[in-house]
Amino acid sequence: MKKTILLFAAALLLLVNHVHAQNFKELLLKTYLAFDTTQDQQQKVQYSNKFDLLAKKFPNEWAAHYYNAFSKAVLSYNDKDEAKRDAWLDEAERERDETVALLKKENDETYVLAAMIANARLAVKPQARWQKFGKIFEEDLAKAKDINPDNPRIYYLQGMSKRFTPKMFGGGKKAALPYFEKAASLFAKETDNEDIINHISWGKATNQHFLKEAQGEAEEQ
Amino acid sequence: MATYRQSFTIHRWHRAFSRKIIIALFVPALALPAYFKNMRRLFTLLLALAGFYANGQSTLSGSVVDDKGKAIRGASVYIDNTLDGGTTDSTGAFHFTTTEKGAQTLVASAVGYSTAGTPLNITGDITGINLTIKNTARTLEEVTITAGAFEASNDKDKTVLKPLDIVTTAGAQADVVRALETLPGTQKQGAENGLFVRGGDASEAAFIVDGMVVQNAFFSGPPGVATRSRFGAFQFKGVSFSSGGYSARYGQALSSVLELSSLDLPERSTVNLGVNMAGVYASGSKLWKNSGGNVTAFYNNLQPFYGLVKTNFDYYDVPKGYGGSASYAIQTNKTGMLKAMVNLNHFSSGIAVPNPGVPDQNIRYNLQNDNYNGQFSYRQTLKNKWSLFAAGAYSYNDDKSSFDSRPGELKEQRAQGRLEAKYIITNRLNVLVGSDLQHFEIDNQFDTFLNRSINENIISGYAEAEWVPVYWLAFKPGIRYEHSALLNKDNIAPRLSLAVKAGQNGQVSVATGMFYQLPDYLYLYTVKPYNYDYDFQEAIHYIANYQWQKNDRTLRVEGYYKDYKSLVRELWTPAEYDPNNYRSLESAISTGNLKIDNSGYGYATGAELFWRDKKSIKNADYWISYSYIDTRRLYKNFLAEAMPDFISTHNLNVVGKYWIDKIQTQINMTYSYASGRPYYNPGNPEFLGDRAPEYHSLSFTINYLRSIGKWFTVIYAGVDNVTNNKNVFGYRYSTSGKAYPVVPALYRSFFVGINMSLTQFDKDEL
Repeated sequence: MKKTILLFAAALLLLVNHVHAQNFKELLLKTYLAFDTTQDQQQKVQYSNKFDLLAKKFPNEWAAHYYNAFSKAVLSYNDKDEAKRDAWLDEAERERDETVALLKKENDETYVLAAMIANARLAVKPQARWQKFGKIFEEDLAKAKDINPDNPRIYYLQGMSKRFTPKMFGGGKKAALPYFEKAASLFAKETDNEDIINHISWGKATNQHFLKEAQGEAEEQ
Repeated sequence: MATYRQSFTIHRWHRAFSRKIIIALFVPALALPAYFKNMRRLFTLLLALAGFYANGQSTLSGSVVDDKGKAIRGASVYIDNTLDGGTTDSTGAFHFTTTEKGAQTLVASAVGYSTAGTPLNITGDITGINLTIKNTARTLEEVTITAGAFEASNDKDKTVLKPLDIVTTAGAQADVVRALETLPGTQKQGAENGLFVRGGDASEAAFIVDGMVVQNAFFSGPPGVATRSRFGAFQFKGVSFSSGGYSARYGQALSSVLELSSLDLPERSTVNLGVNMAGVYASGSKLWKNSGGNVTAFYNNLQPFYGLVKTNFDYYDVPKGYGGSASYAIQTNKTGMLKAMVNLNHFSSGIAVPNPGVPDQNIRYNLQNDNYNGQFSYRQTLKNKWSLFAAGAYSYNDDKSSFDSRPGELKEQRAQGRLEAKYIITNRLNVLVGSDLQHFEIDNQFDTFLNRSINENIISGYAEAEWVPVYWLAFKPGIRYEHSALLNKDNIAPRLSLAVKAGQNGQVSVATGMFYQLPDYLYLYTVKPYNYDYDFQEAIHYIANYQWQKNDRTLRVEGYYKDYKSLVRELWTPAEYDPNNYRSLESAISTGNLKIDNSGYGYATGAELFWRDKKSIKNADYWISYSYIDTRRLYKNFLAEAMPDFISTHNLNVVGKYWIDKIQTQINMTYSYASGRPYYNPGNPEFLGDRAPEYHSLSFTINYLRSIGKWFTVIYAGVDNVTNNKNVFGYRYSTSGKAYPVVPALYRSFFVGINMSLTQFDKDEL
């Protein structure tokens, strides 16, 4: 009987471990989907906090840091307080660096993320920062393109940057259209995949939204 | 999406199922008979383990506040090293469930705040947990030294001015120096060249580009006519204007230093074209992978500008000129940057102006000016520990003039070099040592009776430390040594500035130091031929400043006292005053009627206020600067200690900019006021006792921005002195006792132009 109970105990511990190992991928996906689906900033903060916990609990999983960084950049765009917007980006930068350290090198997605962070920095004070961060944004996207020119997020971010650049500086909806179109054609090749670690896929829905908006503008003219 | 939802369902079921299995396994065990008594302890353990899964969910709740008791929204509250946590709502409240038991650490963190933890023994639900976290975003910002310093830079968020602010200042005509005249500490000028700072004359301000002294900061012009500075705002990435207490890196300026840093690599490849009422210009910059170059060319002809309005002088040959520049920058490695540039230009003009010596007569003044300069600089950082800087420059300026029919020539040449090493001990402490060498030669001829020259070498060494022991305290001590070969004199100038944080958004800075400068050229000409023994002129600065900055609003209040010693003084027998700046001393020295020494002295004290607000009115930005000065000197050929004729006791500038998004247009307005300046009236027994009328000027500019095809276009138009106020800077008396006003070349002036730039070349972006 003693043996039986010890076996039970062992089985139980194994189960506990198994549950934890499963937990990471599933929790990451669950958190990502929840973050991606909600439009409410407070809820986004909540899920971003969850990414934080995941990154702390699984410090060696690059994807935890990657998505944590991504979520902080998104939060920065949506925040209204200038100082806080920069503070989110400080965290985003730190977590992106952590991602690169774990991957041991940059890849197209880490460069895309760096470009996104630079763009978010610019967005805090466009008039004061476009010179510095506009350049970093373009450089990082160029590096991403060198590695993988078929990454749709490169064109999606370029489109977004054009979309929110004032018309007189050569931006606007119409100017952004070809970028959104190019991104859409590449997004179409990405299949829905719940393995968000090996298949990074953010940006598709927003790209679609701004593509439609830009097409609407183009038709009006 | 469907696949994701399924996966969730499966996941939830899986978890629930696992629990059921555990419970199913252990329920029979609970019912085991008593002979398993000895195993009871083991059971208890297993039961406890099972309990984690079977029931033990506890709810934790409470709130998170900052150190001032304010609720924090969006803070993450979690049990350390677990995934159990919650997020605070707008009242700072949180609640979440956890399956953890026993001794745990509860942590609260939020972006921009420090992290705080509290030990917790979880045995069931816990309510009313209060956590306090401190705001870190604001308090950790380090203090910076601002006494006497104004910076315009794109790189730093905190700077008071950006280069773009300079070109959009109405009345400044895109001239860096004229824009700086809207800042506190400066004097409004209209009939003389130069930057006049805190009681100092034009010679007391030095201009520096990339560590090199600019020999001729302003275009050459006839006597009594102000010309533009040679600096275009877009050539520079940063402008740092010191109205006193400047760094030990520089010397030979009793009052101030204007430091400009040229652009590194161009932002992108660009073609830029423009035409305005003063001429046409074109420039192109090319960005390669690690290097970039820029070339410019211009042709100026001021016919349209002077043709449109009535000028106060007769421009019988309007100023014309041409020139160009080339620059190249290369990033030699990750932390090394080599820059080189050359500038050449030629100007000519002919104008009838009052004779500076005989005000009731006009003279025809012809001028041919050639100006060349070239410089390089190299900066290299080694292992983030050392930063090395080397620079060299050569400048040449030749003014060939004729004064009615008398020919004159002033030829200036300067060669200089600088070497610097900065040792970065920590990111809060660094030490800089350096040396610079200035060699200049000046040859001046006038007709047949004047032929004089200066040949000087100044060698300097300096050391300066920057130390920020804690974030709220910064020190910058420095010391500078200079040796003049011409005077055969040395000086040692210690300097010190420090800053302390005062409250959340404020800081107090103080600066002091000794500053030396050679006597003016007028006197240096006499050193060799008459074996004159001069000393350096000296000024001691004491500056205190309070700066408050929050959300794009800046307030600066500054006070200073300057003590002038050892100024050069002319002692005439009999005592007489000649207000002509172009007088020559040679004949009077020969006849023994003039002695020159360093017995001059003086002081300047004042208070200044600056307020800038970019926040209160949407799309509007304005600043107000006011300076009060009390200064008196006995120097040069002054008959008594008096306020010099370039000083206005009160200077006020109100600068406003308003952007109208709908029509992509910015409207800029500047109002400048200066109280009347002293002038010399031979009939007044009080020396320089008379005051000219007040100066008023209201100026507007409009910038309209749009894309024309792929060209980014700015169309601009401006009016200076809209009301056509007849500003008079003083009076000059003829020998017959009649007063002649000193006036600018133009009262009201108009300016229009267009600038187009192309940066989007058709590349395979898509």
